[in-house]
Amino acid sequence: MITIERSLVTPRWQRIALPAVSLVIAAIIAGIVLAASGHDPIATYQQIYAASFTSTGALTATFIYATPLLFTGLCVALAFRMRVWNIGGEGQLYMGAIGASGVGLALGGWPQPLLILMMMLGGALAGTVWAMIPGLLRAYLRTNEILTSLMLNYVASLFMYYLIYDSTSFWRDQTSPSALVFPQGKNLLPAAAWPGIDIGSFTLPLGFVAGVVLAVLLLALIRLTRFGFEMRVMGDSTAAANYAGMRTKRKIVAVMALSGGLAGVGGASQIGDFGHVLNPRGLQQAQYGYTGIVVAALALYNPLAVVVVAILIGALTNAGFALQGPTFPAGLVGTMEGIILFSVLGGEFLGRYRVRFGRAPERAPAVEDESGSISLDS
Amino acid sequence: MLDIRAVGVSPASAESATAESPPAVAAVGVTKRFAGGVVANDRVSFEAKRGEVHALLGENGAGKTTLCNILTGLYRPDEGEVLVNGKPVRLHSPHEAQAVGIFMVHQHLSLVDSLTVAENVVLGWSRHRGLGFSGRQVEAEIGEIASRYHMPVDPKARIWQLSLGERQRVDILKALYRGARILILDEPTTVLTPPEIEQLFSSIRDMVAGGSTVVFISHKLPEVLAIADRTTILRKGRSIRTVDIAETDARQLARLMVGHEMSFDVVPRASDAASEPAAAPRPVLELDGVCVQGDFGIEALKEVSLTVSAGEILGIAGVAGNGQRELAEVVAGLRPFIRGTIRIGGEEAVPGDARDAINRGVAYIPEDRMGTGVSPNLSVAENLILKSYRRGSPHAGPLLLMRQAEAQATALMARFDIRAPGPRTLVRQLSGGNVQKVVLARELSSDPRLVVAASPTRGLDVGATEYVRGVLLDAARKGVGILLISEDLDEIVELSDRIAVLYEGRVVGVVDSAHANYEQIGLMMAGAVS
Amino acid sequence: MSSNLAVSIAVSAIAYGTPLVLAGLGELLAERSGVLNLGVEGMMLMGAVTAFFASQMLPGPGWAVLIAALIAAAAAGAALALIHAFLSITVRVNQIVSGLALTIFAGAIGLSSYAGQAWGIGGQHGIHQLSKLDVFGLSDVPVIGPILFNQDAMVYLSWGLVALVSYYLYRTRFGLYLRAVGESPRSADAMGINVSAYRYVHTVVGGALAGLGGAYFTLAIAPIWTDGLTAGAGWIAIALVIFAFWRPDLLVVGAYLFGALSSLGFTLQANGVQLPSELFSSLPYIMTVVVLAVASTTLAQRRIGTPAALGVPYVREES
Repeated sequence: MITIERSLVTPRWQRIALPAVSLVIAAIIAGIVLAASGHDPIATYQQIYAASFTSTGALTATFIYATPLLFTGLCVALAFRMRVWNIGGEGQLYMGAIGASGVGLALGGWPQPLLILMMMLGGALAGTVWAMIPGLLRAYLRTNEILTSLMLNYVASLFMYYLIYDSTSFWRDQTSPSALVFPQGKNLLPAAAWPGIDIGSFTLPLGFVAGVVLAVLLLALIRLTRFGFEMRVMGDSTAAANYAGMRTKRKIVAVMALSGGLAGVGGASQIGDFGHVLNPRGLQQAQYGYTGIVVAALALYNPLAVVVVAILIGALTNAGFALQGPTFPAGLVGTMEGIILFSVLGGEFLGRYRVRFGRAPERAPAVEDESGSISLDS
Repeated sequence: MLDIRAVGVSPASAESATAESPPAVAAVGVTKRFAGGVVANDRVSFEAKRGEVHALLGENGAGKTTLCNILTGLYRPDEGEVLVNGKPVRLHSPHEAQAVGIFMVHQHLSLVDSLTVAENVVLGWSRHRGLGFSGRQVEAEIGEIASRYHMPVDPKARIWQLSLGERQRVDILKALYRGARILILDEPTTVLTPPEIEQLFSSIRDMVAGGSTVVFISHKLPEVLAIADRTTILRKGRSIRTVDIAETDARQLARLMVGHEMSFDVVPRASDAASEPAAAPRPVLELDGVCVQGDFGIEALKEVSLTVSAGEILGIAGVAGNGQRELAEVVAGLRPFIRGTIRIGGEEAVPGDARDAINRGVAYIPEDRMGTGVSPNLSVAENLILKSYRRGSPHAGPLLLMRQAEAQATALMARFDIRAPGPRTLVRQLSGGNVQKVVLARELSSDPRLVVAASPTRGLDVGATEYVRGVLLDAARKGVGILLISEDLDEIVELSDRIAVLYEGRVVGVVDSAHANYEQIGLMMAGAVS
Repeated sequence: MSSNLAVSIAVSAIAYGTPLVLAGLGELLAERSGVLNLGVEGMMLMGAVTAFFASQMLPGPGWAVLIAALIAAAAAGAALALIHAFLSITVRVNQIVSGLALTIFAGAIGLSSYAGQAWGIGGQHGIHQLSKLDVFGLSDVPVIGPILFNQDAMVYLSWGLVALVSYYLYRTRFGLYLRAVGESPRSADAMGINVSAYRYVHTVVGGALAGLGGAYFTLAIAPIWTDGLTAGAGWIAIALVIFAFWRPDLLVVGAYLFGALSSLGFTLQANGVQLPSELFSSLPYIMTVVVLAVASTTLAQRRIGTPAALGVPYVREES
């Protein structure tokens, strides 16, 4: 009989080596799939690399996709660490976009730095409020937040559609000639367009910089503050947290609020960095929120790793769109992302467990049980 | 409390147990060892006749549950054998046991709340015929069995609608429906109200009248005397004797349960006159008429009043499940109480507020150290500041200065002899003894007024056990009050100044440990003294 | 509202609703066993592309090809679900992550699109399509004729499946065991029910049904294949299962209601009536949140029937 046993110690080197090896394995598997359908794996990978990083405008485009993923990835990394399953990042991002575009339209005349700040705050606030609904329900009524945050994604999406396509709301453009033909949102004034940082021919979106700052702050929060300490204990053992006298309910709400706020800033960045107009269809098709969950999982819920993974996935996504065409394999992006994720998850599993052959020894009821550690994945 | 005289021994049992027929179930020389050198059953023998109610009597660690787990196929004996109707059987799973008619009703029922009684009864039953599930037929059959044994229950009711007593009835019905001939009941009266206990006993009598055998695990003398025909007493893994209920009394049984000889290694703690002034000791903990709700709607503590003075160790003796866990939790603020008051250091504590208790100087060494006492995936240093992070170093405003925490941790690790590579070691990598030392180090270094220690040496090796006991004694000498809850009576006698016995959620007696009389304590623990 | 309008709304409600019913039933079974499957969208797309490919490639009479195509679609969905089952149940990965990984892997920018291109079926016109049947010759009966007796085979299949799943859940012992597994895996395990097996089987069957739901798009709704054809139907199905509180009868009602609402918008607009359809559409989701919240406060939770173990991996305690 085969027993799978938890191994108690994960050596440090394993924590970096495993994901790296998993990535290599993923590349190999994807390469096999490519070869099987008549594409040259090496050439394809070279194309992807070029389209993501080296060709003209590639890096800029990569960061266009990476920026929202950074925010939604952080949103999930924070929440999932505490075993608060916030899958409402999608809806929280939409609400953030609505909030930020509303602020941007209303305060159009303000000086730019202030305007940008207000847009970020508006986005964050909208995302926070939206996330607090499932948060409060979970903390005080113990309602399953997976279900409620999921439902609210649909509501947020419909609300967004309503604002632009079906109502005469503040957000809707009712005057310009193109708007008369097809419903669209009001364009924000140029002042509300967030300036990027030009590094040679590459433009780094302001939102990305903000995201990196937030990632660092988040890491500091987790590692250096009392709040972060309480979060870590709660995410590890609720019983221990209660035993230590921590106010667990308030923490749950606080974490959901922060998490939603992060996604909300992501929504603000969509408006401020790119597009400068509320575009429901585009946002919904992009699925940044759900992809953010995958980003966070790949980053093993570490904020700094989220930055890296967001760039990687952003690069892949960019390449997918840029190279679209009859000769380039369609759907390669999703396929590769899936294979990478399966590899990394499978690898993490192997690292956590030992496979033992034979019957597991029986345990006496009164003898202390050595189990009890909780992995972030369950 | 049950009135012994009011219920009689079942008359039917005397007739159905003929001299020639083999016992319905028997264990012969059963030995069971577990990892770590624990011998849960040491050459245990007992037999239960057909049509008999046979009680397995014993306290904590006697080996009753292990023995029954062997009878029901959950464990395999290392030595000895199990006989059913005189024939040896090898049982490898509960299903095999059920196939020969042995069923056990556990303390923790395994019913599915949202399903009906009928659905629960047939759940997973291997002899369940066919694809379809005719609810009506099952309900009729259940109704028939229920009325035959006077166990009224509505087959269409959903489990969450039922009281605990009714749920137990469902569990018993489940066994009977599936053909139980030997029914093992593990401490069944824990969750019952007195009228429900009456009803259970009359159902048991009906069952044995029909030729079934009931093995009744208990530590409660009044009940054993009321319902059983014979009883086998287990103590520390051995079967001591089998007696006819009609020929014995509470005192004899209590003596057999706890052993009337005092263990010569155990020296009751004389109060250390040198360190504590003879002036009136200040109470650090006062419970006054405290009532606590248990987990399943039963009252776990009923009108409990206790006092622990500074420098005193009050030991709480009793068989597990009589309210000890709830007592520890309520004092530590992890469980609210619905009546009465708790005073710590003279001031009233807020019910159910762990932080309040901590702030008032209550330290708690929980029974489940890995699950509650530590955060297993955090480091030793982080666990050592698990409660103190809110004030004092390493706390600095909203920030935590881990370097200071680690320095403190290193010092504490030296002081409390915690063997680990360093303060950054994750707690789950430590041995049981070292985990307990982490808990001790944290709790005792917080300069508490009162330490609640629940089973502090359970599962530890000899060295660690000695160490923990020494630390507790040391703390008491320095004026800390200690509420010691333990299933090990020897430990209680050895460490405590006074001993209070908990039985069914009440304090049934408080004695000075210097005058400790095992027989008297045993009687109290088994409910034979009101 | 004229009866013609009502009939046409009902007919299009069924057309939109059928893939939702199929995929929803699958998700219902998986969730009843305690496994949350967020990969439905990906499985539907794989089912759609596989069915289309099969129907284009296979020779033979129409009905045989269609049946083969449906089987292929079910197999594709099942295969994907097997990955999710393995990751969630055996490897005990977070079910949310695993399901999403599958949606991305097989979804509009993933394997289904890849397969579509590799198989060269983009832009082709579907050779075989499910045609509307004339049951008992009653399709001309006013009002109910077009609704009940003039549907294609898969619609009737979906109705049959709803009845079958209902019967299975509430009247067979396997359905009973399934409900126990989802509510309280520990009790089910104690009763000798193999929790893992139940979860595996029902997750895979769920995937197969999702594949069938996707096949409906390419075999009945429109004879083409494009990337992302299902346009979020998988996500709607997930929401419907929760909205229906894991009951097949409510699921059907919800699916057709959703179908009606979707087509209502168009139909009304075509008739010159403006209604904020999004607000109506959001009501079911808001209601679901409210009911979930209220239900968790009291014992009503048991009555509502949230599989209590949904999303939680089951680890058997060794005794």
